[in-house]
Formats: sequence, structure tokens, C-alpha cells
Amino acid sequence: MYCPKVVVDTYNERLDITSATHIDYAQAIPASYYIDAKECLRLNYETCNLCAQTCTAKAIDFSQKPKKLKLDVGAVVLTPGFGKVDDSVLEKFGYGKYPDVVTSYEFERLTCASGPTEGHVVRLSDHREPKKIAFLQCVGSRDETCGNGYCSTVCCMYALKEASVAKEHDPDLDVTIFFMDVRTQGKGFDEARKRAVEKYGINVVRARVPRVDEIDGRLGLTWVTDDGKSHSGIFDMVVLSVGLDAPEDAQKIADIAKIELNNYEFCQTTPGQPLATSRDGIYVAGAFQGPKDIPESVTQASGVAAMASELLAEGRNTRTVTLTYPDEDTALEAEEPRIGVFVCHCGVNIAGTVDVKAVRDYAGTLPNVVLYEDTLYSCSQDALKTIAGKIKENRLNRVVIAACSPRTHEPLFQETLRSVGLNPALIEMANIRDQCAWVHAQEPEAATEKSKDLVRMAAAKARLLEPLEQPTVDVTPSALVIGGGASGMGAALSIAEQGYKCVLVEKSDKLGGNLARLTWTMDGQDAAKVLKDLTSRVKKNKNIEVLLETEVEAISGYVGNFSTTVSREGKTEIINHGVVVLATGGKEYKPNTYLYGENNRVLTQLELEQKLKRGKSFLKGANNIVMIQCVGSRGDDMSHCSKLCCTQAVKNALKLKEAKPDATVYILYRDIRTFGFYEDLYREARKQGVQFIRYTLDRKPEVLKAGRGIKVRVYDSLIGEDIDIPANLLVLSTGIAPGENEALAKIIKAPLTSDGFFLEAHAKLRPVEVAVDGVYLCGLAHGPKSLEECMAQAKAAAAKAVIPLAKGRVAVAPIVSRVNQDTCIGCGICESLCPFKAIEIVKVGKKRKAQTITASCKGCGICASHCPTLAISMGGFTDDAIMAQIHAFAGDNCGEEA
Amino acid sequence: MSAQMDNNKENAMAQEGFDPRILGFFCHWCCYAAADSAGVSRYQYPPNVRVVRVMCTGRIDTRFVLEAFKCGADGVFTGG
Amino acid sequence: MAEVARQALADAGVNPQRMSLEWASAAEGPRFVELITYYVNKIKGLGALGQGENEPEADVIARRLSAAVKAAGARKPRTAFGTLAKKMAKSGDYSPEAVSEAVRTKVMPGLRAERIAEEILICLADGAKSAADLAAMTGADDAEVEKALTALAKKKAVREEGAGWALG
Repeated sequence: MYCPKVVVDTYNERLDITSATHIDYAQAIPASYYIDAKECLRLNYETCNLCAQTCTAKAIDFSQKPKKLKLDVGAVVLTPGFGKVDDSVLEKFGYGKYPDVVTSYEFERLTCASGPTEGHVVRLSDHREPKKIAFLQCVGSRDETCGNGYCSTVCCMYALKEASVAKEHDPDLDVTIFFMDVRTQGKGFDEARKRAVEKYGINVVRARVPRVDEIDGRLGLTWVTDDGKSHSGIFDMVVLSVGLDAPEDAQKIADIAKIELNNYEFCQTTPGQPLATSRDGIYVAGAFQGPKDIPESVTQASGVAAMASELLAEGRNTRTVTLTYPDEDTALEAEEPRIGVFVCHCGVNIAGTVDVKAVRDYAGTLPNVVLYEDTLYSCSQDALKTIAGKIKENRLNRVVIAACSPRTHEPLFQETLRSVGLNPALIEMANIRDQCAWVHAQEPEAATEKSKDLVRMAAAKARLLEPLEQPTVDVTPSALVIGGGASGMGAALSIAEQGYKCVLVEKSDKLGGNLARLTWTMDGQDAAKVLKDLTSRVKKNKNIEVLLETEVEAISGYVGNFSTTVSREGKTEIINHGVVVLATGGKEYKPNTYLYGENNRVLTQLELEQKLKRGKSFLKGANNIVMIQCVGSRGDDMSHCSKLCCTQAVKNALKLKEAKPDATVYILYRDIRTFGFYEDLYREARKQGVQFIRYTLDRKPEVLKAGRGIKVRVYDSLIGEDIDIPANLLVLSTGIAPGENEALAKIIKAPLTSDGFFLEAHAKLRPVEVAVDGVYLCGLAHGPKSLEECMAQAKAAAAKAVIPLAKGRVAVAPIVSRVNQDTCIGCGICESLCPFKAIEIVKVGKKRKAQTITASCKGCGICASHCPTLAISMGGFTDDAIMAQIHAFAGDNCGEEA
Repeated sequence: MSAQMDNNKENAMAQEGFDPRILGFFCHWCCYAAADSAGVSRYQYPPNVRVVRVMCTGRIDTRFVLEAFKCGADGVFTGG
Repeated sequence: MAEVARQALADAGVNPQRMSLEWASAAEGPRFVELITYYVNKIKGLGALGQGENEPEADVIARRLSAAVKAAGARKPRTAFGTLAKKMAKSGDYSPEAVSEAVRTKVMPGLRAERIAEEILICLADGAKSAADLAAMTGADDAEVEKALTALAKKKAVREEGAGWALG
């Protein structure tokens, strides 16, 4: 606040200013200020020193010097992220010359409510709101002239997002996005694209705009569409959807780590081992491995954790330190409430607005409050010590901290309680900073009144707080992996390598799943080799028990203690295990159109691969080979994009050209989605003369019988009429359909997406977990994806699955429901409403009674609010406590005792 | 009780028209978190809401809402 | 829950718009601010509780709601509510029309009857009243009051006293 040195705000893409002492953004972790050493006056000129003098917490120490540290580690993980595309690439589109040509990063900041313009999109030239915006895709991607031949994978989706946000802010805005292909192949992305286009009326044009010109202070674009026609338009603002480059210092990292890079300076990996660099013990995750979005990056991050954990399995728990706490003083806890209220200044954060001393004194007037104090920074180490001392000294048995948010700081204060022998549930926080001082900065009196009310409510609740048990349950240290395909084997292997037993169940009579049907991986390697490697490692591993021809019939229990019934050769068996990994795979979609099944010259891509592998004799006389994309996918039967068919088609087209160079191969497509480095294959296919013809949904290709042969009729937009291609061979890219997931979904109570794949707990934060604790997800069961992604996901699921196994005990959150079985009538409403399968009906004597499975309970309280006889209470949030808060809210206005 | 309430009401009306007393029930994971993040970004909003944190809006019993109004709340805002 | 609360409020004479259910995810600070600001202004527009359009006096509302809170804690209406929630979870139909209709037909009749009965008990606490007075106080029609009184009399909670009724 006192720093006088003004610097450009690089977090806000240089669109704003900040000071040399700053936090990059509100959600930064740690949320503490740092000093920009390049800009600081004290560090560079030995002047100023204002911050150190004014910091009341004395947290700034200019005597610190950089230190060289030597760390002994067993594994190294590289996650440097991606770099920026060079400005010279952007300059081709007028960037730097015309102020209203901005990058997508800059636009992102402009649309952000906490950004430099508070979410108002304005032109940088005149700060007026634009009426017409164009997004140009593939800037610095799919462009060999700048050295980036690959597709950056994420820009199509983020452009649609940015455009939607802008339209939401200003519905009259006219937004056009210029795509080469619309590449929204991720899970649920096509649906999101459709919504964006339909709901916001975003114009989609398939054309590449070569340059941007200034015309009367506005920006002129010209482009040529598929039909060969030339168009032009004038826009107020142009957004360049800039791609992801390799990190600037990629070569330096590679030299230090002694790893290999690919030809684009990203880290070199293989489809079977996507997270391993060329050097043992060094792993890679995120965009450095190749351009990718957040869900995939987060997945890879978990995946590398598994790899490090495999490597370091022997050393597990050798350097851990265990915390011990004094015994709980249950006698003191049972006494009449003795509440201590601590009101925090948080420096000027609270005290600058709220009259902290008045709030403190007010707290003293509340019933059962025996101590009321104010503290400068309650969360600082010495303040916590002081609070601990005061609790002991005054024999407090309930504590109210009026400060910031319990979401961020309650655990800290709970630790303080535990350190003096109090149950951590005996604290209540009043959020007078985040939800008061900060948001009512202009109204100090109202903020002070609100603070008093919040403290009164917190104290009222504190009086009724009861100690909560901190139960933990033992974990059965083994995993069940359902599905013996590549993902299932990958997950089982990783869990086993990390040192835990694993049962791998497969319903067919052999391991391999879809990988066994694949002939080549995307990079043209022999898929059978990958399969053989996986199966032999699985069979050799003593920690893995493989059960073939086995189906899962029922799963009961909860995280740490599952009990699964499987049927095998007509007999049922029970398996006890701590965690579950779902790797049930998907299946090739089988169409009933395009003469498939009627004519033996019509194949799916997988069938073509198998034939090609056996020899090229079947290609004799096949001068014209036609491939049709999106048969099944992105249509009526399956609305999702199957993600890998485009690459598969291009890969197979190249194989065909190799086997029979004089054949003409046509690929009829809607968008070619060869994302990432697969773009190289697409470019190569074009070079090899593969013919690409785009079709639209309203003019789908037709397949007609022509004598004994077939002809494919497709509308060629360039010549403006239908053309007939006599096809000696027709290959359908049929995509990936979900497996029979419904039954298993019901057994586990795991939700499915509308497309029939398993739904992850959170797309970005928990991409390989399902909503039920202890159940993890990988492979095609989660959605269509390549072998490479499956293998990374399998590692990720294994990493998550091992967490409860490694801990040996799972802590049960103390905020759980408790059923009073004397008043419970066994109606079962709670059981059927619980979203977490955490309440069950059991027989007590002859009567049906509800019972909470505490290990599964998330404390949501739906059971309590729907119980007909009020027999269910929620730890920490009892009816009485909430009612007390309501009465305290009303204060004198309420007929009840406040 | 009602006399007191009327008295309060008049005071409130006299000050700046009418300053409602609103009780909020905020879900720990969603709305409560959103309110925190509004604070971190220093957005400003009217200071009329007092918050009861719950772990999920599913916890909110009809009785809580009715009780709040019974005790004179001018509004109840539940945020999931 | 929200719909039950709204209809129960309306039953007690409170403008149901005073109760609001909104959604803001953890990342939606700006949306939260918009929602709260809008809502506070809406309540300002409605006026203090008991001063809104067609709202009874505050003490009447307080009495009605005291009864309604008790009713909402009673087993029968709660069972109806729980069963409905169960049914809706199964069908997955959460369209506002369906929810409103279901609450109106499945939950409210029982809840209202219970509220009227509870309110009669409160009204009689300070002395005997005629059935007509009770109808006026509870905002119920004669048939509803009679039904409630008969049921209460059966439980010996009230008894006839002269031309009116008193606590049993």
C-alpha cells in the first residue's frame, strides 16, 4: 500500500499498473505480497525502505540474500508450462501497430471482473466499447512459417469461452470467430461449443485470415471461404488466439536435465509412456509435454506423482514426522460454556473499516463470554501462541475468532485448540473481513454493526457447540481395478509398483481390451508391442491378481473398506479392498448406415488396420479409397466427438498411401481434429496427396450401390455441386461409444454423463475421481481418448487410489450426520436422498432404522432437513445451533432467548 | 415484541427510507466461497445481510426460513 | 425446501418473494455481488416485513409463523415433504412448474392444516374465542377451523366453552 514505485502489471498483460510490492492476483497462493526485485527502490538504489518501516507485522527483511541449495531427491518432475509465441508472429496481424489488435491473453484480462477494466471490454485505442469483434484462430499454431507446425489444442475452446463471456457482458456485441477447423474435441466441449454458438449467436467462419489492415480507425479483414468466394469485413477489435509455444528456456531445461526434446522443443515422450522423459527418474507433466488444457494437465500432474511414488515406494514413510497433541480435557469441555472472543484487526484490513475495539467490547456483553480481546494479526505465529496461552489461563472451553473466513483459517485455529487439549470443533469464526470490512469499506458504521451481529451469532452458536469425535477407520490395503484394458493394466501396474496389492478383474477371457484390437499407435508404432509389454508386466507382478471372465455384481462399503461380490465361472466370490479404479473402457461404434455390414468393401478404421497388417493384397485394384469421418460421433446416435478418429483416419490414410502410392484417398470430414503434434500427420497426408473434402450436417455424404461396387456422393462446396466418387474401399470413422456403464454406475452410485460415460467429480480439480469417495476413473470409461491419454490417466487414477492405501487410515470428517435411533421410524427417505450413499437402513431388533456410514458422509445435511421425525442431527450444525444463530440474528426483535 | 419491532422499523425508515435486515444461509462450498472471493476482490455490496454458514443448502430446513421471518427478518437469502 | 418455504410463507401471509434461492459457485464473486445487491434492493422495494402489499401486521405474521414453524416440525407434513423429495429425486423432474404443483398438492394441504391447528392453540392461550374469531385470526375458512377444532378436541387439546372454544 505504501510502495511508491509504480510498475506495469504483467499479470494483467501490461494493461494495468501496480506497485513493486504486490500480489499477482487475488487467488495467488500464498496470498502474501512479494517485492519485485527488479523494480524495488530499496534493492536497486538503497533508498525508500518504506514498506519495511510500515509493516506492522515486521515481515520484510531486506538482509535476506539468495542462497544456493543442494537437494537430494529420488525423482524429478518437470512442469515448466508453456511459453509465449514470439511477437514477430503477432506483428503479421498488426499487433503492436494497431492498438485494437489484442492477444487472447489480453482479452482474457479485459473480460475479467477483477481485471484492469473490471470486465468491460474496451478498445485500447479510444477506451470505447467495440461493437464488432473478430477472433483469429491459429496464430502461432498450425503455421510452419513460424516454426510451430503443431496445433495448440486449447485455443478453439478458449476463444469460444472468451467470446461467450464478452457476449454475456454485452449481448449486442457482434462476434465472429475465424477457424480453420473447430477443434473442440475434449470431453463435453462440443456441447459447450454448440451452446456458445446457439445461445450467444457467435458467428463461426471457417477461413484463415491472412492479415489485418487499418481502415479509418477500424480494422479490415479479408478471407476466402470453402466455396472459393472472397469476403471482407470491418471490425472494431481483433483478438489473436495465440497458441502455446514451448517454454522459452526449454533447451536450457533439457541441457540441465539431460533429456530429449521433440522438433518443436517440447519434451519428447512416447504414447505408451507419456509422462516419462528420455531419462530414468525424470518425469514431465503439463504443457511442456505438449499443448494441453487444464483437465489433462491436472491429470498428468497426478500421473507423475504416481511415477515418483513407484520409484520411491521403498522409502515410503521413512522421513515422516508425526504430530502429537495433549489429551482432550473433557471435564473442562463439559462445563458451562466459557467463551473467549478474539477480534482481529488484520492490520488495517479489518481495523481500517470496522471499529474493532467497539466490537471487542460488545462481545464482552454477550452471555457466557468470559474473555474478549483484540489482536493485531490473529493468525501470526506469536498471536496463535498468545491465544493458546489465554485459553489455558482463562480455562476457556469455547472460542470465537472474529477475523477472516473459516474456509481459509479455521483449520489453523483448530490446531491451536488441539494444542491446548480442546476439541477442534469448539471454535466458531465470525467472518468480519472477507464478508464485511472488505466489502463495506465505504460504510464503516454499518460494517461495525454487522460485525457485532456476526460476533453475536457466532457466540450464540459457540455456546451450543459440542466436541466432535475425530474418527478414523482402518483401510484394507489393496485395490480393485475393474477392466483389463490398457488403462486398467496401467492403473494396476502403478498401484502394484507403489507397493500395494491389486485385484484386476476383466469380464472377457483375456487382457488387452481395445488395445488388443488396435494395430498401430498414433505415432505409427506397433500396438501389439505395447500390449505385450503391459500384459507381461502385469502377469509377472506379484502384487497383481488377475481374474478373467469375472464380472462385478455388487459393491458395498465405503472408502477404505469396500467389499465386492464378483461372479466367476458361475460362482460368486467376495473381494475386500480399500479403493476401486473404474477402467471399464468403451467400444467401437458399429453403424447401421453407409452399407456397413452389407458390403464387404465397407470397413471401420480398426478393421482396415487389421487388414493392412495382414498384407496389402486386399488393396489390389483399390484405386479410390474413401473415408467418412464422424459416422456416429457428433450426430444423432452419439452427440460427443470421439476425439481420436481424425488422427486415426489420417494415420491410416498415410499407411494406405505407403502401401499403394497410386491410390487416391479421400477423407470426407466436418472438422479435422488432429490436435497437438498429430497435426504433423495431417500436414504429411496433405503433402502425400490425400484429398480432404469438408461436408456439413445438412449435406451429409451418401453411399450408393453402383452395380457390384459403391459410389460415394458428396457436395463439393468449391465447385458448388455434388460429386460422385467410385469407391473401391469405404472406411468409416465410427468413433467410440460408451461401454455398458449403467449397471456399474448404479452399483457404485456414480453418475454418468448424458453421453453415457462416467462423470468425474470435477473436470479440472478432480478429473480422475468420481463423486463417491475411494472410487477413481481412467481410460475410455471416462470418455474417448488416445492411448497416450489413457496411460497418463491410468497413472493419475493410481496416484489418487494409493493415497488412502498409503495412509493406512482414513480420517472421517467430524461434520457428519448422526441418527437418533430411538426416534427414527425407518422410513428410508434419508437413505434414498443421500447423494453420497452414506446412510443405510439396518435392522435393529425387529425394526428398520437408519444409520450413518460416517466414512462416506460429507455433512451436507439433506438427511437432517428431510427427516420426518427430526431424528437426524448434524455435527457442528445442529438444529439448535442454527436456531440459536437465527435468534441471535434477530437479537432483541426475537421472542426467543437470544 | 411488536412494539419494539415497530420502533426499530420507524428508526430504520427515518434513517434512509428503509434498511432491511436480511438473513443469509450460505453453502460452505459455493455461495460462502463466492462471498469470500468477492471480498478478496474488494467488491462492494449493501451491508444488510447476516450470514449463517451451512455445509450445503440441503441442510436448510423449512423451519429455519420460517423461524427467521418469525423473528422479524425482512428477507432470507439462501445461496447454494 | 425453497418451494415449501415459499408456499408456507404465502400461507402465513408473507410475500414469498422475500425468500430467495440463488446459486453462485466458489469462483463467482462478481455474480454473488450482483445477486446480493439485486436482492437487497428488491427487499427494500417490498418494505419491512408486515408492511408489504397485502401483508398482515407484523405481530400477526409472527403468530402465524410461530405456528408454521411448529407445523413444519410435525411428523405428518415432514413425511409428505420427504416422500415428495424422494419421488422427485427418482424422476429427476425439477422443473419449477412441476415442483410448485407437487408442493401445492402434496405438501401444503397437510402443512396448512397443521399450521391452523397450531395457531388455534396459540390464539386460545390468552382466553376462549369463537370459531368465527379463530377463522379471522388464522386466515382460514370456517370449514378448516371446524376440522382443526374437531381434531384438537379429539386429542383433548381444546374443549367447547359456551359459544366458543378454550384450551383443553
